[in-house]
Amino acid sequence: MELDQALQTFIVESRELLEAMEESLLGLESSPDDHDAINAIFRAAHTIKGSGGLFGLDGIVAFTHVVENVLDRVRSGEVPINGDLIALLLSCRDYIGMLVDQIAADSAAQPDKETEATGIMLLNQLRTYQAGEKKQSPISATAQSQPRMAVVPPPDGTVESDHWHISLRFGHDVLRNGMDPLAFIRYLDNMGKIIHVVTLPDAMPLAPDMDPESCYLGFEIDFHGDGVDKTTIEGVFEFVRDDCTLRILPPHSRIEEYTRLINELPEDKIHLGELLVNSGSLTRKELDEALHLQQILRAEYSQEAAPKLGDILVEQRVVQPELVDAALGKQKLAKENKAQESKLIRIQADKLDQLINLVGEMVIAGAATSLLAQRTCDPALHEATSTLSRLVEEIRDSALQLRMVQIGETFNRFNRVVRDVSKDLGKDIGLSICGAETELDKSVVEKIGDPLMHLVRNSMDHGIEKAEVRRQRGKPAKGTVHLNAYHESGSIVVEVGDDGGGLNREKIFAKALEKGLITASQNLSDVEVYGLIFEAWFSTAEQVTNLSGRGVGMDVVRRNIEALRGTVEIDSREGIGTTVKIRLPLTLAIIDGFLMGVGSASYVVPLDMVMECIELDEAERRESRESNYINLRGTVLPFIRLRDHFRERSKVSRRENIVVVQYAGQKAGLVVDELMGEFQTVIKPLGKLFGNLKGISGSTILGSGEVALILDVPALIQRAASRDAQLLACSQAEQIVA
Amino acid sequence: MTKTIMLVDDSDSLRHLVRIVLEGEGYGLIEACDGCDALSKLNGRKVHLIISDINMPNMDGLTFVKAVRNLPDHKFAPIIMLTTNHHEASRKEAREAGVKAWMVKPFDKLQLLEMVSRFAMP
Repeated sequence: MELDQALQTFIVESRELLEAMEESLLGLESSPDDHDAINAIFRAAHTIKGSGGLFGLDGIVAFTHVVENVLDRVRSGEVPINGDLIALLLSCRDYIGMLVDQIAADSAAQPDKETEATGIMLLNQLRTYQAGEKKQSPISATAQSQPRMAVVPPPDGTVESDHWHISLRFGHDVLRNGMDPLAFIRYLDNMGKIIHVVTLPDAMPLAPDMDPESCYLGFEIDFHGDGVDKTTIEGVFEFVRDDCTLRILPPHSRIEEYTRLINELPEDKIHLGELLVNSGSLTRKELDEALHLQQILRAEYSQEAAPKLGDILVEQRVVQPELVDAALGKQKLAKENKAQESKLIRIQADKLDQLINLVGEMVIAGAATSLLAQRTCDPALHEATSTLSRLVEEIRDSALQLRMVQIGETFNRFNRVVRDVSKDLGKDIGLSICGAETELDKSVVEKIGDPLMHLVRNSMDHGIEKAEVRRQRGKPAKGTVHLNAYHESGSIVVEVGDDGGGLNREKIFAKALEKGLITASQNLSDVEVYGLIFEAWFSTAEQVTNLSGRGVGMDVVRRNIEALRGTVEIDSREGIGTTVKIRLPLTLAIIDGFLMGVGSASYVVPLDMVMECIELDEAERRESRESNYINLRGTVLPFIRLRDHFRERSKVSRRENIVVVQYAGQKAGLVVDELMGEFQTVIKPLGKLFGNLKGISGSTILGSGEVALILDVPALIQRAASRDAQLLACSQAEQIVA
Repeated sequence: MTKTIMLVDDSDSLRHLVRIVLEGEGYGLIEACDGCDALSKLNGRKVHLIISDINMPNMDGLTFVKAVRNLPDHKFAPIIMLTTNHHEASRKEAREAGVKAWMVKPFDKLQLLEMVSRFAMP
């Protein structure tokens, strides 16, 4: 029994490590020199192997052992990291994940044939990276062939004047390749003003050795240009870039500006090179060269003795030491912040659920106590219970806070999805994430993954056009999928957007007509038309791909989200893009409610949705008896009589009130007898038997022990609005007949 | 009196297993997930034995062992390494830092108990 528990710990731990491994691997794709990431990947494999051995999971140990060996070689710099290796390691990670999943399903399971075959294939691929293979990597070959120019160094590492300083050494083959060195300098002069040029003939060999077809020239140029940045200057030499040595140092006055830019960059970039590139003080090409050089040096020296990237950059005279210092300071800050974030305690989810349940019971018991205290008319007791209920409220809030998790982790998983799917589809698509720190209930986060996955895939497959089409429409060839999350009046909005072709209103309308979902005379708003794609078996895609287009899916998405008491809507502009908005309740357990009475029954609406309460006076009561809408300060407010809606048979009360509720920008009124004020509502789900009831989303227990129903405000608003529209349509029809 | 053992390893599942074995025999356990964590937990406590992994984030096992040797309170605390690391160099380094024994994962329950009872301070 205890061993089983330990095995569960192992499974959870492995999954976390694999997740971290994936993140680091994806990170390596953009910055292949991140030593911390390589170490983290190695450690993940190492720990999985070590712990797997404790449980006698030989399959995992044997496979992970090979992966670990390869990673060890990567770590020591024997194997260079590149796209192919990262892709292979990602597959290996998936394979280990699969093995762990199998163990989780059945701890005695043996891998089936298919799994085994995958494993063998991966092992074969890994073998090429293992020790004993050819050591001569392509990098060290180029290292030797790279021209080492022994020429006069530039006057100084720093630039005192207010001009750009450009050191230029042409390669020997420049003339043979048909380039005219002077043409570049003339071109440079067009962009600004060349202040000073020094020609360096030092590389010129003695006459017998000289080849008249080779170029031996070097130049030191002082250049002044308004609004010119480093990349632009580098661009001048684009055609000879691979065949010359180029150093560009910015004017002195720019250093301050760069330092400021570095400090203003967002916190999350922690690679030195990236910081400098982002601030504009270093070009991508210069960074790549420096990283390359660092790799060569690493191979030559041992790991520790190899110089740091910052030192290389300064030595190569591509950035000033001040800037490197500023970037290093910034990097340290970002790392410290990161370390602080990871102070976590792991708790089992069911313990937390139990706590929330108990807090729920406490809220109900507290309400009962306050009620009794009110009846006794004892001021001291009254005071004590009100302190108690304030504390209960605080405990409730902090208990619920424990269940809140950031949506970022769910979002980050899509980096991999977008990368893989875009490769499958042959489209160039990036992912941008916003609002990753937005918090929502853990149970909601767990259930939102699948619908989001579907929407993201849909966007990539159908939303974003092929590169040619995008170019024709004047958009960047690279498509983007956005994930965004934010809070909005008591609910959380998660958006999945793309900058693709958008929905075709006419096509959807025609398809819906054909399927008989609507009639031709119906006058629908854009949002309503787009909403039709959530109907079952609805698909306008001409071609079914293996990702989407079969017409199942969007209705499943909607059903999943409605099961979480959420709603979904689409906004789209043809040619510009589509955004799907998912609106979800903040929590599923305890909410602040507003209690109202109709006849003998009590009802609760979430307090966040209540806009205002107004009295329905005698005149309005008579007037509104037929029409079901009133004039609220000049706007039409449709309303529902809860008395009629729930067929309450008791005597009509003397006074009635309207509670104005709002959801997703729509307003409606609920007519009730009595307003009873705020109430902490512990949501109890309705039994299966009542699952189909429209207009009720759950129930709760009052302090007196009675049951109150929680109203499903979105459904009621829709009902009020649609009845309103029907009435309007009817009256229009009457006019035509008349 | 129960003897207190400190266990330093970044793997939850390994700590879980060792805990089952050692607590079953009546030892008290302090767990830490890396060298830094362990050092902060050592502060002001008496431990009879330290069991540590080598390959860990933040602070690795060898650095941790050397740091322990510099703490006046724990200068003579016996240390066992429990690790997968086979390199002779790190073994030598560990021996020089005063590590008493070296166990290779996956460990055997009886062997672990035997080691612990042999080395734990009276």
